[in-house]
Amino acid sequence: MSAARGRALRRLLAAFAVAAAIYVQPARVLGAAPAGSITLGLALEPPNLDPTATSAEATQDVVYGNVFEGLTRITEDGRVAPALADSWTVGDDGLRYRFHLRAGVHFHDGAPFSAADVRFSLDRARAPGSANPLHDLLGAVREVRVVDERTLDIELERPVAELLTYLGWGNLVILSPASAAQAATAPIGTGPFRFVAWRKGDAIVLARNSAYWGTPARLGRVTFRIVADASSALAALLAGDVDGYSNFPAPESVAALSRDPRFTVAVGSTEGETLLAINNARAPFNDVRVRRALAHAIDRRAIITGAMYGHGQPIGSHFPPHDPAYVDLTGRYPFDPAAARALLREAGYPKGFAVTLRLPPPYYARRSGEIIASELGAIGIRVRIENVEWAQWLEQVFKNRDFDLTVVSHTEPMDYDIYARPGYYFGYHSATYDARLAELSRTRDEAARMRLLGDLQRQLADDCVNVFLFELPKLGVWRRDLHGLWRESPVQGINVSAAWLDAPTASGPGTPAGRTGALVLAGTGIVMLGLAGFALRRHVGARYLAGRGVSLLLTMLAASIVIFVLVSVLPGDPAAYMMGLSARPDAIARLRAEYGLDVPAWRQYVDWIGGLVHGNLGTSYTYRVPVAELVGDRLAVSLPLALVSLALSIVLALPIALAAAARPGGLRDRVLMGIAQVGLALPNFWLGLLLILVFAVQLHVLPAGGFPGWDAGTGPALAALLLPAISLALPQACILARVLRAELGGALAEDYARTARAKGLSTWRTLWRHALPNAAIPALTVLGLQFSFLLAGSIIVETVYGLPGLGRLLFQATTQRDLIVVRSVVLLLVATVVIVNVAVELLYAIVDPRLRGRSRH
Amino acid sequence: MNPASPRASLAIGATLVGGIVLLALTSLAGVFDDALAIDVGRRLLAPGAEHWFGTDALGRDVLALIASGACTSLWVALAAVLVGVVVGVPLGLVGAARGGLPDEIVARTGDLVFAFPSLLLAVLLSAALGPGALTAVVAIGVFNVPVFARLVRGKALSLMTRDFVLAARLSGRGRTAIALEHLLPNVAVLVIVQATIQLSLAIVAEAGLSYVGLGVQPPAASWGRMLNDAQTLVGQAPWLAAFPGLALALTVLGLNLLGDALGARFATHRSGEAP
Repeated sequence: MSAARGRALRRLLAAFAVAAAIYVQPARVLGAAPAGSITLGLALEPPNLDPTATSAEATQDVVYGNVFEGLTRITEDGRVAPALADSWTVGDDGLRYRFHLRAGVHFHDGAPFSAADVRFSLDRARAPGSANPLHDLLGAVREVRVVDERTLDIELERPVAELLTYLGWGNLVILSPASAAQAATAPIGTGPFRFVAWRKGDAIVLARNSAYWGTPARLGRVTFRIVADASSALAALLAGDVDGYSNFPAPESVAALSRDPRFTVAVGSTEGETLLAINNARAPFNDVRVRRALAHAIDRRAIITGAMYGHGQPIGSHFPPHDPAYVDLTGRYPFDPAAARALLREAGYPKGFAVTLRLPPPYYARRSGEIIASELGAIGIRVRIENVEWAQWLEQVFKNRDFDLTVVSHTEPMDYDIYARPGYYFGYHSATYDARLAELSRTRDEAARMRLLGDLQRQLADDCVNVFLFELPKLGVWRRDLHGLWRESPVQGINVSAAWLDAPTASGPGTPAGRTGALVLAGTGIVMLGLAGFALRRHVGARYLAGRGVSLLLTMLAASIVIFVLVSVLPGDPAAYMMGLSARPDAIARLRAEYGLDVPAWRQYVDWIGGLVHGNLGTSYTYRVPVAELVGDRLAVSLPLALVSLALSIVLALPIALAAAARPGGLRDRVLMGIAQVGLALPNFWLGLLLILVFAVQLHVLPAGGFPGWDAGTGPALAALLLPAISLALPQACILARVLRAELGGALAEDYARTARAKGLSTWRTLWRHALPNAAIPALTVLGLQFSFLLAGSIIVETVYGLPGLGRLLFQATTQRDLIVVRSVVLLLVATVVIVNVAVELLYAIVDPRLRGRSRH
Repeated sequence: MNPASPRASLAIGATLVGGIVLLALTSLAGVFDDALAIDVGRRLLAPGAEHWFGTDALGRDVLALIASGACTSLWVALAAVLVGVVVGVPLGLVGAARGGLPDEIVARTGDLVFAFPSLLLAVLLSAALGPGALTAVVAIGVFNVPVFARLVRGKALSLMTRDFVLAARLSGRGRTAIALEHLLPNVAVLVIVQATIQLSLAIVAEAGLSYVGLGVQPPAASWGRMLNDAQTLVGQAPWLAAFPGLALALTVLGLNLLGDALGARFATHRSGEAP
């Protein structure tokens, strides 16, 4: 019996070894990273990479000015400069523009650039139903006409004084007709960098375009790494996982970083007016006195100090302070709670009222919100804070205008026109404002424009449409030897075209990890098949197996229904989330149809299950790639992490349990079990935090977070998994040690163990040879539970370390309302749990032949 | 199971849990109200005579926040476990007493819930219901239901074959009466011991949910959110990460010790803990 068991265990080990050999493939030799590679941190992942179809700032950050270019470009000091057009003339009436295009320009796919591409791009942007954020503005265009290959005319219905500026924005970059359709996932432009790869949830890689028409980029490769959690941002920077941030999401650390000789800190300005936005259409805020009371109640200084650590300039209207036309209106409503209370009394609210403050995820909103709530409380306004995800914010606040107050930063330049948009979420309407704005658009005289812009600012302040808080700062932090990144941000986008490194160093990972994902899946399959093979060969019982199979299928069917219902009732529209801030209803409706969301629920369910049966997990809404590919990439992180943790857990628990059980009740037993008791109580994410503090921040021996990908080599990849694995394994090891210790104690008291010792076998040998095999079944139960937990339940530890694992994919997909990913991943995880349970049961039968063929409940 | 003496476990566990409860009560009594106010002027003060555990980024006293967070933790965890007990225990009893189809349904539903990794379910529910304390209670509570249902069913099934139950059945008592009069009192102890363990798991779960932003919302304090806030300040203000985590760990330790001690005292057999 013992020999047979030994053989079975050896075979099992062999199966694991095969799997391990697949995971730990030797580091492939990559072409050496080009001289001067950098990795920049990005707080939000772009929903897609087509800047003409979304106003998502993250999309502009990556591709604008790097991959794509427009006819004009905006310089760092906010001027309009030539780009794809090297010169232009404007008719005296302001209605006719003639552009002379640059010669010798090619798209990254080799297609030559000509006037036809410009016409295609502009017509595409202004076509009915286009999702372009500047669509309304392009209504002023009468015609875009190709004169010859190098010359293009734009004719307007009415003058648009800002046209040359708009043409320099990311929304109006030039795409080629051949590749425009795939710009969302594989953008092809004319810029100094070409798109290389997008590892979803992790990084986007650009490489130098060696055939660039202008001054070639000096960096060979730029990786934008998504560090979703502001908390991980500092750790990643200090650990050298990222080389810098164009806009660092944790202002609390900026002071410390500017003292750190390793970093340059460049605090600049953005076009982001941060507002306490008010629903002007809803009582009591339809009364200007109430809005003014809010303005008087809020101490901008306290917010800038408390939420922004002193960064950010106070504003008194919707206009950036660094603009020449800026009028300082911050004194219009000085911080004065007494005046605020008086205004509330006057408006008929002597006792105040209750409101809800909806806060989107960015740190500035959440933090300012808490201070605002406390300040409004001081004048009798009872504020209930509701933190919402972007998807919910877009749906509830932006689209349905169902809100009282919110905090948000409007980062588009020249966006004072939103106050004239009908149906905009502020609920503000003023005929005077609309008239002034129309006049501004007609006016080309600089002095007159300044006067008009001043009037607009004053009117917004007088009407107190919103409480204007501060201009969002641009907190640039990067390695000291990195130069040429922009301090100011006059236009959305992180321009890396002129960046360079003092000394060429290599950093950042190589190519996408799709293949590894597939290998990992194959590895899992091998392990599972191995287990099944064992069971079948040893005749566990065909009927028993069939019974388990049917029950497994039924469980999965029930689970799929539960998951489908749960996921379908999630509030928030995936299409609205994808389209961003300036989405229009018809565009959203078309996207819903494209996603298949416009058919009845039962139909969606049947389609989903039908697809699964055929091995098709569907296509991600967000990333537009097959879900199976996404899952494969993530499994390449989660599975090794779970296995390493499990191994660590066993390696730690076994000696502890044996040492403790050798002399039950002895001092060693008590001390070890006491330690296990304490270890059990350590929450793994706190452990993670402490480990980061010690090993990454203080000692610099291990990375604080992020994952370089298996292609960067087995060493770095395993190093990145080590701290997370320890955080996960330590509490698990304590559980396992306690279970093993208890079982060993029980087994030692049994007759066979007494007999063995009476024969003269030492305590250790008795434990090893006789007690341990008998403790295996409970241990297997625990290990089975732990494996499922480690694979799926490590969401929090993945968050702590910024690992692109399955848990984070799920979490991200949930917040992005990528329902198809959520559904399939949850079902996959549930399937894993169920299958592991069955596998553990089969292992029981192998370990203990008495159980063979017996049904267990 | 626990080699340390149950008496010592009981003493340490009771002291730790009692301390946390006391802290929570102090906070409920309003002792810390001033210290909880946002005051940017006193932000990020290191631990000292004025503020024993220091202050956070908005100038709130960390000790006061921990006390207030203890309230949150305890009530969310208690409510969640209560959901498990109130729904799970009757289900388990019904399953054991009635057998047949009801039993099968209870058992299979339990299997289904167990197939969802606990936190996964919480994340989905939180997204569906919107983040908040109530959501946390429901999300954690749902996972507790089958724990108690299974526990009670198993114990009750073994009781059903005992002489005193057989005697009651022979005397013509109905199944409901038997469940209430004979089964319930006999599983009560087991339920209390398990509830202690579940309480500690629920407290960790609440902190975890709050850490990822799906739990209790501000201005209510929560240990999990304090830890998240502390992460970017870990180099500058390590006390912000140290104390809430310590409070969490000590509470869990206390409840675990208490559970072990109670379990040993009532000499009940507890099956291996779920992670």
